[in-house]
Amino acid sequence: MSDFLIHVCIMASLYSVVALSLNLQVGIAGLVNFGQIILFGAGAYGAALAFSNHMGLWAAFAAGIVMASAVALLFARLGRDLGGDYWGIATLAVAEACRILLREFDGVTGGAQGISGLTPLFGSLDRRNAALATLVTCLLLLSVVFWLCQRLTRSRYGLALKILREEPLLAASLGYSPIALRTQVLVMSGCIAAIGGVIFAHYVSFVGPDQLVAAETFLIWAMVVVGGAGNSLGVVVGAFLLQFLFAFVPFAKDLLGLSSDYVAALRLTLVGGGLLTFLLWRPQGLIPERIGGVIHGK
Amino acid sequence: MANDILQIRSVAKSFGMLQVLKDVSFNVGKGEIVGLLGPNGSGKSTLLSVISGFQPASGGSVLFAGQEMTGLPAHKVAQHGLMRTFQLPSMPHRMTPRELIAAGERVPFSLGAVLGRVVDRDGRVAAVIDRFALGPVADIPASALSGGQKKLLSIAVALQGRPQLLCLDEPTAGVHPQLRTRMVQILREVAASGVTILIVEHDMHFVRGLCDRCVVLDSGGIIADCHPEALTENERVVEAYLGKAKRMEVVA
Repeated sequence: MSDFLIHVCIMASLYSVVALSLNLQVGIAGLVNFGQIILFGAGAYGAALAFSNHMGLWAAFAAGIVMASAVALLFARLGRDLGGDYWGIATLAVAEACRILLREFDGVTGGAQGISGLTPLFGSLDRRNAALATLVTCLLLLSVVFWLCQRLTRSRYGLALKILREEPLLAASLGYSPIALRTQVLVMSGCIAAIGGVIFAHYVSFVGPDQLVAAETFLIWAMVVVGGAGNSLGVVVGAFLLQFLFAFVPFAKDLLGLSSDYVAALRLTLVGGGLLTFLLWRPQGLIPERIGGVIHGK
Repeated sequence: MANDILQIRSVAKSFGMLQVLKDVSFNVGKGEIVGLLGPNGSGKSTLLSVISGFQPASGGSVLFAGQEMTGLPAHKVAQHGLMRTFQLPSMPHRMTPRELIAAGERVPFSLGAVLGRVVDRDGRVAAVIDRFALGPVADIPASALSGGQKKLLSIAVALQGRPQLLCLDEPTAGVHPQLRTRMVQILREVAASGVTILIVEHDMHFVRGLCDRCVVLDSGGIIADCHPEALTENERVVEAYLGKAKRMEVVA
């Protein structure tokens, strides 16, 4: 396996984890969150802050989870006063505000330069084995998160979330608290994204505000929409597909004889084009959610 | 009265300048089937929404089983055992009636609820589906059901929460006569099992066949509270429904 392929697989696994976390909100609970990247960023910055304060990996996870939960609670609080679409705009605004704060508090966060030199995972191994070990770790994390999401969507609690997704009034009439459900799912989703963020930070050994731009949220959205919102397997397929397409953009550029300036533009086109194509022609995604999959007749 | 499960005391509701309910007071006894009648716009559905916590009252209070419900959010009211259905039940596209009926049986938030699979081991969900004659449509998207089937489904789902008081908003509107008979039968059984029922309804035939008592609203106030058979003899009711000019003909 080439180093490049290992790298793409690691990134695809990490993005799958984040896409699965977004899917809990968008696909299962119907929460249109445009600020998901900041929950991932909470994990990345948790790792960076733990590192710059000479604390271990556990502190990184703890800090990431605490910060992601705090942002998730803020999102949930906004959801009490704002309906669906307006809440989506508010999450985007909060995520952007957090990114700008991280950029401006340069004493703590390193400002626009971010924090670099984070200890790589498995630093005691040689480069190739460390990369392989990281890949195995990421795949393990993905498996656990995938299993959790599968169980959750097929559970009684998952049914309540699905009622909330389309008919919040019906959910309330049955005694389910829409506010509590939204808060719980946001915090769970935030913690999963943050764990992905911690691993990501140590893998790329650099954390900066530019990793948390809104375009990143839309990349995660594209993975969910292309793969199939509400279907965990679809979401993972979407994440791998887009990561692999991204990885081959530079090769495509060479084939077409374009300059390097086009790489970023081509990637954005892939995200936007992918989102648009699927929303228009196949809104259920490549692998649609199975209706009635939770409980079957005999 | 100690036997009154629902006490509505001087409930008022305004939307801006428009006063929809003014000083509405009545009690519902445990086990009663009470019809809530009135012409369009008389405030029936609004009263139901106030009782069930979906709309805050502008004044007055609602007591359920001796407990104050005023100001509680809708899901809390439902958790106390006061549940409602909607006039136009809107059902999810991406869930089946079977899933909705399973979800109606609410369990507290726990690790088991989050990670445990939903299995109908003792066949309770299947029994509900049979009882409500939803078998042929149990595994298709709930939004694809006919209006009447949606009404039946919403009652089935609400009953899963084991309500003490069930408030139904026009359960028979748009329901096929055959299903309507089935619904009367089911509601009688439900009442016989000790559940109190408050029904907003237009169909007088249905009301006469089912209700023990009728409360009639007009322009946000109560104009009658009597046995269903006594309705046609009540001048104010006839007037409210048919207008003054028609009164003589009907009485004659």
